Amino acid sequence: LESCEAVRSGFIFAWISPSSRLAGGEYFMGQAVDTLLEYISREDAYTIPYADVRQLQVAAINERFQERIGKIKLLALRAKEAEITEIKRLEDVVPLLLPHTAYKSYPESVLIEKRWDRLTKWLDTVATYPVDNVNLDGVDDIDDWVERLAQAGHPVGCSSGTTGKSAILVASRGDNDWVCKDYVVAAAWGSGVKPAQDREVFGTAVVIATVRNEAIGDALAAAYGVPGKGRFPYPVPPITVGSIARMVALRKAIADGTAKPGDIPEYEATSAARQKAMDDAVGICADALIEARPRSIFIIGMWASTYKVAEEIRNRGYCGKDFTGDNTCYIAGGLKGAKLPDDYREYIYETFNLDPARNFQMYGMQEIGSSMPRCREGGRYHIPPWLVCLPLNKAGDELLPIGESEIEGRAAFFDLSLDGRWGGVISGDRIRVDFGPCKCGAHTPSIRDDVVRYSDLEGDDKISCAGTVDAYVRRL
Amino acid sequence: MSGETTPERADASTQAPIPVAFFVRGKVVAGDAVRHRSRDLGVDFATPEIDLNALVTPRSELPPLLDVPVKEIIDFLVECGERMDFETNPYMQEALEHTVKVNPLPRRVIENLFRSAKQYVSREMLTTSVEANFGNPAVLDGWVERTDVYGNKGALRAFPPRMVHMLAGNAPANALHSIAQGALVKAINVFKMPSSDLFTCVAMLRTMADVDPEHPVVKSMSAVYWKGGDERIERTIYRPQYFDRIAAWGGGEAINNVIKYLGPGIQLISFDPKTSISMIGAEGFQSDAVIDEIAELAAADATVFNQDACLASRFMFVEGERKGIEKFCAKLQERLAVDRFSASADSPPPPSDIRNEVETLQLMDDAQTWGRFDGRGLVVLTEEPVGFHPTNKTVNVVHVKSLDDAVKYVNVATQTIGMYPLERSTALREPLASAGGQRVVRLGAAAKIVLGGAHDAMFPLQRFVHWMSVEDATSGGLY
Repeated sequence: LESCEAVRSGFIFAWISPSSRLAGGEYFMGQAVDTLLEYISREDAYTIPYADVRQLQVAAINERFQERIGKIKLLALRAKEAEITEIKRLEDVVPLLLPHTAYKSYPESVLIEKRWDRLTKWLDTVATYPVDNVNLDGVDDIDDWVERLAQAGHPVGCSSGTTGKSAILVASRGDNDWVCKDYVVAAAWGSGVKPAQDREVFGTAVVIATVRNEAIGDALAAAYGVPGKGRFPYPVPPITVGSIARMVALRKAIADGTAKPGDIPEYEATSAARQKAMDDAVGICADALIEARPRSIFIIGMWASTYKVAEEIRNRGYCGKDFTGDNTCYIAGGLKGAKLPDDYREYIYETFNLDPARNFQMYGMQEIGSSMPRCREGGRYHIPPWLVCLPLNKAGDELLPIGESEIEGRAAFFDLSLDGRWGGVISGDRIRVDFGPCKCGAHTPSIRDDVVRYSDLEGDDKISCAGTVDAYVRRL
Repeated sequence: MSGETTPERADASTQAPIPVAFFVRGKVVAGDAVRHRSRDLGVDFATPEIDLNALVTPRSELPPLLDVPVKEIIDFLVECGERMDFETNPYMQEALEHTVKVNPLPRRVIENLFRSAKQYVSREMLTTSVEANFGNPAVLDGWVERTDVYGNKGALRAFPPRMVHMLAGNAPANALHSIAQGALVKAINVFKMPSSDLFTCVAMLRTMADVDPEHPVVKSMSAVYWKGGDERIERTIYRPQYFDRIAAWGGGEAINNVIKYLGPGIQLISFDPKTSISMIGAEGFQSDAVIDEIAELAAADATVFNQDACLASRFMFVEGERKGIEKFCAKLQERLAVDRFSASADSPPPPSDIRNEVETLQLMDDAQTWGRFDGRGLVVLTEEPVGFHPTNKTVNVVHVKSLDDAVKYVNVATQTIGMYPLERSTALREPLASAGGQRVVRLGAAAKIVLGGAHDAMFPLQRFVHWMSVEDATSGGLY
């Protein structure tokens, strides 16, 4: 991908900030933002004490606010409602943080009725740059729409809603460049393995096919992979936003009572074909890894799918002793509902002869561009200076006091790197964050490795006679 | 509704856990062996360990109420109901003090619900309910002889079932409704209490035990708590050898858990999770006086339990002049912000997904709105129903060309349809029933009932009982 050229050509991170511009004629807008973004090229990106950047972060958020208020319509509306004209303290930005669900707030009917002009108009309410240059002629499904947006300079990211709408996250090309760079830097710090283009890169996860996810995979492959080898992609048809949208549309039609019985087996046949491809992929991937075993390997995956591949490798009679001791991996956190044995991590490490210390894990989310790599000694996710962590109360409307001890609350972040949309996001996660030094020696704020979704914590104990037709639609 | 929408009480977790007592087959069980956290407000509480052997009555024992005539049961319930005023009943007072800590409804509303609970055990309500459900209520008291067209004789009895009642979390004091239902069918009852209403059921049962500790109604009742979905409990007791019926008020994950255990011999009677709506004809928007009147009626329907009730209206389909409809929206918003018997002027503000979607509709010029995201009433006027589920005193007024066009938005989850004027229902009630709707009422009367009617499109008591048949056939029949 073009956007990751900088990463491929020798990792010279010449970041040209889009925020450097004069505004208002009085002061140089973007200085604080630039200073903080430049940390990505510094040795102390993940170790600098929070106290050293705290004030600068507030100034930087204000810079972003002043730049964006006239551009992002939803932000302008929020600022007007909250009567905020300047960010002087971290508290001031709390009413301006957008819940992750804001990126799902498009009317569902536009997908079903294929109203791409309306969907584009919606996107324009959350985008920094006007989305008025997109050619919508002949767009048939949302995958086409996403492609046209990318062509017009608006790469769109998406999250998978397993039963509901996908979040649609508009970004800029600069955002994708940043994500590529950020992941490589974070991977190097978190795994302790320097990118030296000396290993074979394998994908062992089913990811949503978005420009962002592709770019991250390519960037890691470019940094760690043997030149010319590319990366082994997990051999399943990509999940596209369109495939998720079709499922959502069918669910909605069932709920409304307009779906015909014949529509359901048609969808289920597609699902069955997909499941078969997923099952086949495990064996194909296992074979490829067995073949590559004498060489250094970098596995990029998720726990559940990587576990299946590991099992298949063991079934074929191979295990840790057959692999080199130089392997590394980046396995994204969270089991996403998969049921695995308690020792699933050890099982995977043993299968690939992976030293757990060389394993890169990080905490991040589709809604923000930057990632938080896990340190090896403390096992905590470290927050770089360009990412501001704002621990909130569970309701998400108050900043918790930041002091000496670890704080438990709802995770919200202001990602100063975000260009194509507003950087302030409230997540659905419960975190424990400490703004003091970590056992590993790093002084950046860090998050304990026990992040959970509030929705998972609440469990199954809610019972109320008031409810929606969603309860009447069986999972597809 | 998600628990995330309710306010946190910041000091909750630092306090000692609230003790929750159980009631098992007529006896109070105290203890603090098991710690829990309430779902809605995150308050810690402690319960005794559940003694499963004590909780489940073996089938070798006949139900305690079997030989007690329904009339006596009704007398007893009515007598107990008279003692349930929280002003004078210490159990109810204590229950109120604790309930306000775990339930998101405001104290004044909970007090009102406590005050009105005894209507569930009024003589009129109980008698009508039995008559409506059973035609001939004698089937509850004994074997009713019958003879078929061939002269074969038989006898039929509505035999007492063994039941688990999963009480609703959104309606404190409604436990008395379930107690009454369980008593009328002479069931052996286990009430599974919700974490937002852990005290009222036991307080009511203790009141009943004070009236007569040995009364078979009291001996037939148990009330316990376990965390919904706790497999250790549910996998053990949800078996047809122990229970015939599970009656559940509500839906979602709590019901999905139960469904796993259904099978031959154990049935679910579900008061399904419902959404209610209103339909207002053009007649409503023709004069300011009528607009004022219907805005008040509509607000009364929308605000029941601060809109956390199945019968609380959320979508209002309107036809007629735009100008009058806009006036109605403005007036409705004002009336949503009024203290009522079962609603408070201020409710917790709408959750963020509602705010996001409404802001989006505003930015895209798809909606006109009245009110703010402050829990004091928000009216969103659109041409099509919004994609979110309106809660926390949010009403989506949908301007349709004709009420006939609104029928397509009625579905299998639609319960109450408040109609103005009610006469319009004559033309609409069949299409509404076909779409899944269950109940048409006069606008403003969603929370009022005609005694002896169906509930959620069924007569539930008839489905609770174990219909036992004794037959002496000598001719006719199948073979």
